[in-house]
Amino acid sequence: MPGRLMEPDGALIPFSTEVDVPLYNIQHGVKLPIFRIFVSWSRSNLLQVACIRPFEDDFNNEEDTGTSDGGDLGGKVVEVKLGASDPQISEAQRRRIAYGSVSPFAFLQGRKNALAMMSRMSSSSFGDWWQHVLEYSRSILELLENTNPPSRSVIEDPRIVLKLVNKPTGLKAAWQLMEMFYVDKHSLTWLPEQLVDWVAEYDCILSETEVTVHSKLFKLQEKLVNLQVIEDDPEYWEALSSALTVGWLDAVVKLLRLHGSYQLNQMDSRETENGLVEAVAVLVSTMPRLRHDLPAGKLGQCYKTKPDFIKAWEKWRGQITKLDCSAFWVHCGHRQTREGLRNLLQIMLGNMNNISNASFHWMELFVSHFLYIKPLTMSFEEMHRLAQKCLQLKSSSLSNGLTRLIVGALGENIEVVIAECSKSFGPWYGMKCILLMITHALELLAADSNQNEILFSERYNLGGISIVELHRIVYAQVLFSHSLTSQIAPTYLASCPKQGLGLLEISLSRQPVQNYTLILKDLEICRLYELDKICSFVKKITGMHQWKHGRKGSGIYWFQKAGDESRLNQIAQQLFECIGSSNTNETFKQWEGLIELLGPDVGTAGGLGFLHRYRDFKNSLRHVQYGRATDTARHSVELLIQLLKSPSTPQLLWLPLLHDSVKLLNWKDRPLLNAAETNLLLSKLQELSMLQLLPDSPQLDLPPLELASIRLALATNLSRAFLEE
Amino acid sequence: MEKELATLGKGVRCCSWNYCGKRLAVGYNDGSAAVHDSDSLSSSSTFSRSSKWTVHASSIKNIIWIPPDFGDAIACICVDGTLSLWEEAGEDAHSVTWKKCVVFERSGPRVLEVQFGFPTKYLKMVVAYSDGHVKVYELLDLLVLNKWQLQANFKNVVDSVSVFGKPTCTSASIAWSPRRGENQQSSFLLGFNSDLPQFNSCKMWEFEEHHQRWLPVAELSLPEDRDDRVHALAWAPNIGRPFEVIAVATYKGIAIWHVWLESETDHRFSSEKIVLLSGHVGEVKPTFSYPPVCSFIMRNACVWQLEWDISGMTLASTGGDGMVRLWQSNLNGVWHEHATLDCGGGKQ
Repeated sequence: MPGRLMEPDGALIPFSTEVDVPLYNIQHGVKLPIFRIFVSWSRSNLLQVACIRPFEDDFNNEEDTGTSDGGDLGGKVVEVKLGASDPQISEAQRRRIAYGSVSPFAFLQGRKNALAMMSRMSSSSFGDWWQHVLEYSRSILELLENTNPPSRSVIEDPRIVLKLVNKPTGLKAAWQLMEMFYVDKHSLTWLPEQLVDWVAEYDCILSETEVTVHSKLFKLQEKLVNLQVIEDDPEYWEALSSALTVGWLDAVVKLLRLHGSYQLNQMDSRETENGLVEAVAVLVSTMPRLRHDLPAGKLGQCYKTKPDFIKAWEKWRGQITKLDCSAFWVHCGHRQTREGLRNLLQIMLGNMNNISNASFHWMELFVSHFLYIKPLTMSFEEMHRLAQKCLQLKSSSLSNGLTRLIVGALGENIEVVIAECSKSFGPWYGMKCILLMITHALELLAADSNQNEILFSERYNLGGISIVELHRIVYAQVLFSHSLTSQIAPTYLASCPKQGLGLLEISLSRQPVQNYTLILKDLEICRLYELDKICSFVKKITGMHQWKHGRKGSGIYWFQKAGDESRLNQIAQQLFECIGSSNTNETFKQWEGLIELLGPDVGTAGGLGFLHRYRDFKNSLRHVQYGRATDTARHSVELLIQLLKSPSTPQLLWLPLLHDSVKLLNWKDRPLLNAAETNLLLSKLQELSMLQLLPDSPQLDLPPLELASIRLALATNLSRAFLEE
Repeated sequence: MEKELATLGKGVRCCSWNYCGKRLAVGYNDGSAAVHDSDSLSSSSTFSRSSKWTVHASSIKNIIWIPPDFGDAIACICVDGTLSLWEEAGEDAHSVTWKKCVVFERSGPRVLEVQFGFPTKYLKMVVAYSDGHVKVYELLDLLVLNKWQLQANFKNVVDSVSVFGKPTCTSASIAWSPRRGENQQSSFLLGFNSDLPQFNSCKMWEFEEHHQRWLPVAELSLPEDRDDRVHALAWAPNIGRPFEVIAVATYKGIAIWHVWLESETDHRFSSEKIVLLSGHVGEVKPTFSYPPVCSFIMRNACVWQLEWDISGMTLASTGGDGMVRLWQSNLNGVWHEHATLDCGGGKQ
């Protein structure tokens, strides 16, 4: 098997190397052979696969046959989802669970942090921590409940032995088991009875193919409508004994009362028989149970203390023995009734053979021990031995994940439980619910302080993180893969001290930037978790996208938000060159808005301050045109002189400025520029002319006629200024 | 289990997804390129072709997306060794189209591979040539992709003093360090598939700011494997591990390496080969690429591509056996094949 390797000695988590690698056939619809396969983890952990046909093959096909199979098909891209998700849970329900479990998780983490703070400040410990986890566990259990409650009839049908409820999920069953073993400290005291209750609830999912007590009763219930003489049917007695074995007292009593001897027309002729049936029914309904409480309406007698229970138990057993030895059996003419009832008595007396014959699954046999053979609390070690024995007796394989979970928990082997969770309930990413379960289940396991070392110790193998953190990270990755759940992923990552924010950063940096709402959401997450670098990166990508797609103003806005001085400077430089190289008003108008957007603070190196002054000068010049006011014209001159005096004004712009100044130089009323100012302009023109003589200098982009007009205007103004002065 | 996302036209030769997986660039045998865009932002949405244009007269053998903070742009490597960069741009929203930025005409050896580095301040481009040389270019203008300055030109050998013959390389693999940030040291991995062993082994090159030069800081190859031709490389994203994880595919299989900084002061690296995964077992099928990437018959099929997921925990590999294999490490740190996707109709 490719890639199979031996586990190192002293492996922490026992992983079997025998498991075959799952093989999935991809139906891509491309004609074989395949030339190339390309893959991409497109969104978080969804795998996209591109299968490409050989291109030579295309040509050959056409040449050979004249027609090509697949026509113009060169390849296909498919998205692959691996692993079968639980068909009992719909996609919508999965999302409901994913969303619903966030707040209990966050609440629990908050409590943990608060307690950690308190324990640092005072000597208070995490003594009652399990109660918080229990509260959290119950919230999750509620989510795992099947959403549609069965319809209840007001009149109870006596023939309904099994209530038809929606099949519980394996997830819920496993969750409850872990709550029982690792969280609920009260539950541990009453563990045997808790396991009896667990079997009562989940017997229907213990096996898909083999007979269970539930399937046996279900089958009988379907037959009940058509059965005339119920006590003649061996299945009736088999179902009775099976139900009694696992402690379903209500069902047993209900079934017993369906016995033909209860019918009014037969009471007289079958008085003894009826008396025996009723006696057994009474004994069943008064069975003593050592448990915390019994739900209202449930049969049996509840005892909370061992002495009381033992006393009641012995009395009850005495009554059974007495009935078993009674002479009434001789007078019971109906063989099946006689044998069936005595079988029930033997089960209640703890006869191993009868119990074993009446049970099917090892768990059923296992819990029957707590009911009839060893009703007093056993140690974990004893229970583990008993479980192994039952497994052998019922020759069950350990193939069922729930079975391995129970055995692992009874064996007090947290490593096995983790391995089971990873193996049976995952770890394939597609199985969202299952990963959720593992991620959250580790919280339950962590409630047991003995397991903290294993769960929370950092491991080099895992890249320096703990088992708990690893599962949270993998789960968050799954949440990221769907747009509807990606928003809740950060909650889990925030509780990963080592690598959570790292994954969050990568995930956010791979979000598309075409959608404004999505960008805002991402930026909000960045703000919440103080991911400044990624925040800036997302803004830069957005800015670049906008800039390149013709939305330059928006591009500048995003670069400014990102504080991307390098790009803003380059934009300033571009504007600079563009305006400098063209002296038309249209070009300037085109860029004016962008100059405004860029603001005065950015681009000190690129001379953005100059651009602002240039914009003011141009605006002022426009007013001069329309207003013809000498004051305004004088203001333009001041701006012009400032620009030309400023060392940041590039030489590239001198000529356009001089060109613009012609209008001012030729002012009719009086010379606007004095001699000194005119000399400054002349010196600039002279400097530009000198530069033209240097090799590699840029050529002046102004027609000679225009140049001549500048020179003439300068000369005229100078002479007028001299005269005036 | 699988959902069809896109249908590609006849003559496809290569394809590549952009940073968010919402755009797919496709290179064709007739020298044209196409871009397919995802129909919506939701996951699992289908792709449809948004543009197609002619890049060059010869077949495009590889197409690579440029990091997104430099726009929507791709690099196309043609079979004749020409490299050209294209970007989607327009003066306004209606005139957006794919435009040529620059063409690196072939003047000597052919361009085999190109990859772009992640440091955000200056975009760096590494180009590997068929003579075993590698050139590193730096983008001068952050807003346009046409001004590149050659920063370095060296051979993929550790010993730069000795004189080697002139190798003939059929393919090259480059992987930049996925760490982002302006303060990150620039580093990349390079391995060749050539007839001169010294050029083949995967080396980690790092830019030394002090001397302004590129230095080989680690060689990911055991002495007995130095001759092995490198078929593919992948540097795993690091979300907080104290070491880097690198996958190197040769004909022997896929080696997983851990590389870590041994000493901060003298910037010394250590590396350890963690495992050699058996890769893509099976007889190599004849490929139609030119020049042939894997023309030899070996026990192991040629690995075409290695791709890490975003957490760097799962590695996907594709190979000549028509399979996509997924590799993971379990809780004990043991690497194993996690799942196999058969794209070749069940042929092994």
